Amino acid sequence: MSHTVLVCDDAIFMRTMISDILGQAGFEVVGEAETGTQAVEKYRQLKPDLVTMDIVMPDMGGIDAVREIVKQDPDAKILMCSAMGQQALVVEAIQAGAKDFVVKPFQPSRVLEAVQRVLG
Amino acid sequence: MDLSQYAELFLAESREHLSACNQLLLEWERRPGGTEPVAGLFRAVHTVKGMAATMGYGRIADLSHRLENLLDQVRRGGKTPTQEIIQLLFRAIDALEKAVELAVTGREREADLSVIEAIDQAAVQSRPAAQPSALARHLPPEPAEAPTPAAAPVSSGRTRLVQVMLRPEAPLKGARAMLVVKKAERIGAIQRIQPPMAAFESDDFDGRFEFELETTADPADLEKAIRAVGDVERVVVGANTADESLVTTAEIPVTGPAGPVIGAGAARSRHIRVDLRRLDTLMDLIGELVTERGRLNELAARWVGKDPDIDEVAIQISRLSADLQNEIIQARMTPVWQVFDRFPRLVRDVARELDKQVAFRVEGKEIELDREILDELGDPLVHLLRNAVDHGIEPPAERKKRKKDPEGEIVLAAVRERSSVAISISDDGRGIDRAQILEKAKREGVVGPHVEALSDDQLLRVLARPGFSTAEAVTNVSGRGVGIDVAMTRIRALGGSIEIRTEVGKGTSFILRLPVTLAIVRALIAAVGQERYALPLTYVAETVEFGTTPLTTMEGKDAIVLRDRVVPLVDLRKLLGTNGGAPAPPPRRPVIVLEMGERRAGLVVDGMLSQQEIVVKGFDAPAGTLPVFSGATIMGDGVPALILDAAGLV
Repeated sequence: MSHTVLVCDDAIFMRTMISDILGQAGFEVVGEAETGTQAVEKYRQLKPDLVTMDIVMPDMGGIDAVREIVKQDPDAKILMCSAMGQQALVVEAIQAGAKDFVVKPFQPSRVLEAVQRVLG
Repeated sequence: MDLSQYAELFLAESREHLSACNQLLLEWERRPGGTEPVAGLFRAVHTVKGMAATMGYGRIADLSHRLENLLDQVRRGGKTPTQEIIQLLFRAIDALEKAVELAVTGREREADLSVIEAIDQAAVQSRPAAQPSALARHLPPEPAEAPTPAAAPVSSGRTRLVQVMLRPEAPLKGARAMLVVKKAERIGAIQRIQPPMAAFESDDFDGRFEFELETTADPADLEKAIRAVGDVERVVVGANTADESLVTTAEIPVTGPAGPVIGAGAARSRHIRVDLRRLDTLMDLIGELVTERGRLNELAARWVGKDPDIDEVAIQISRLSADLQNEIIQARMTPVWQVFDRFPRLVRDVARELDKQVAFRVEGKEIELDREILDELGDPLVHLLRNAVDHGIEPPAERKKRKKDPEGEIVLAAVRERSSVAISISDDGRGIDRAQILEKAKREGVVGPHVEALSDDQLLRVLARPGFSTAEAVTNVSGRGVGIDVAMTRIRALGGSIEIRTEVGKGTSFILRLPVTLAIVRALIAAVGQERYALPLTYVAETVEFGTTPLTTMEGKDAIVLRDRVVPLVDLRKLLGTNGGAPAPPPRRPVIVLEMGERRAGLVVDGMLSQQEIVVKGFDAPAGTLPVFSGATIMGDGVPALILDAAGLV
């Protein structure tokens, strides 16, 4: 059975690309969220094997969403999607419970490596 | 991977975000104390940066990065932005907008990013007082901050020195190092980290660090676990801190991607983006279907005596194709804000340029129009808005003198009417001086010398004459004489109309009426001689019979009196020069009363045939054609018919 993924990013562009990369590698993208609040809500509903989480999102940001999700499920496997120059925020996300990170611009191979590590 | 497939999505979404930036900047300019605009700006620019970097548009990513940096400084500085900063941000967003458009056509190099210098300067000036780094803020006090190597507990030889070197190309090395430390924490107790963790965040951190770990784990397992964190070039696990000779340096390849390759998982979201051309093609196909449906109905009517079933099938097909058509039309409907949202910025810029104060209000943003109509509407509206600021709103001093608020108001409003949408542009400015226009119109021979006053209609006709301008001097903004005529031609081509209302000292309104959708309209089919003509129902008020209402004349033309109003008549037979081979007009001829805003006209035809849906086809009128046709359609029997343009008749 393929792993299920929840993709969280406020840009459709990014969600499409991540979904394509993961979809082509055989993952099943079961949901998308464009705000942190939606991410938390959908995690509760969908219980995905993996979450990809953008850091900067309207409403509730990615880091707070990580905190909320980890509170619900300490074993949640969350992969942060960050941009260059966001080291401090990524560190904060890791402190909050994120398992790994990838840096935009995404290279499919690196995304898949990170996903494998998180699902380990 | 092939990125070209994402280019359109990139463009569409970048445009949305940059348009939002303009809105936010305007809001910020109005209320510089607010904190939401800057947060929103930061997010939007950040999103554009991420998308551009992914698309490989390095220059856009760089500009957005610097802009983001400036926004961050301003945001964290907590000070209200100066007018210079706001102006700079507007410039930067403009530069980004242009760069995005160029980039998707493969011309990113041509983008003018000279604004970067000013951005960097402003960022330096806005830098807030130093703040503790994120690590310092979020980490517990660092044991390594007071390194005590001599006192490090070396218990039973199981405290090992772990040396890690990250791959040189690894991004965000500090965060990766952090993951390594977290992983190690799960295997044992970390006792000393060098350099201290606070240094991980520094730009100088090169990805080399070491720590002591008190653990019972096997060194090989420890190394494997650390490598699994990713981006690890080398791990050296010492036997123990007393013995610094390296025990193991075996290179274990980092696990590559080995994801399960089963059928591609489908993204489940409730919206998908569809190429507009697809919708256009669908619309064309539906158009043909509607035409064929008309033929089927005609055939069925003939056969119904022989086989009643055929009628039932025809009715079903009619119903289904109508539903289908309706769905496609709905899918093409677009809220007007998609075009209106750029106008607040436009009005602001024009007002600044002309030293005027203008409050701009938009109403009815959610009203929907067919995508194609909306696309065509942008330019005429830009023109009318520029006009309103330039010619409508008076300079603040003049307004004060007239006891008006020095800040003028322009309202752009969309309202849904029966089967059309009315869009009005109203200003509370000086209004149009009819006497002045009349004089000029007489001089240029636009109206006869005996006309004493211009009605709204006549005024518009004069203003809409190509090259007619009342501006004393040609400004950069408007008054070039290519104005209302162009706007009017565009609107008419869309099957719409323009109306003007103006009062000296009070202001001017332009009202644009547009059909909600272009491609398929309900029309009245009328006959004149042997030809059929279609009249879109949008502008048909009612039909009466010639001879049953009192006849009179209006300005020397035949007219009828309809419920106390005089309606001038237009005899289509005369207008089109129908005679000769055509049968003589019947004694009792129907009159189709057209209504366009306040204007009315009665169109006298030979007969009324039916009401049906017609598919509007573009129509390139040969030179010399009467300006009363807006297009053509194919009737159920395959014979073409011309569509009459109500605006040209009323």
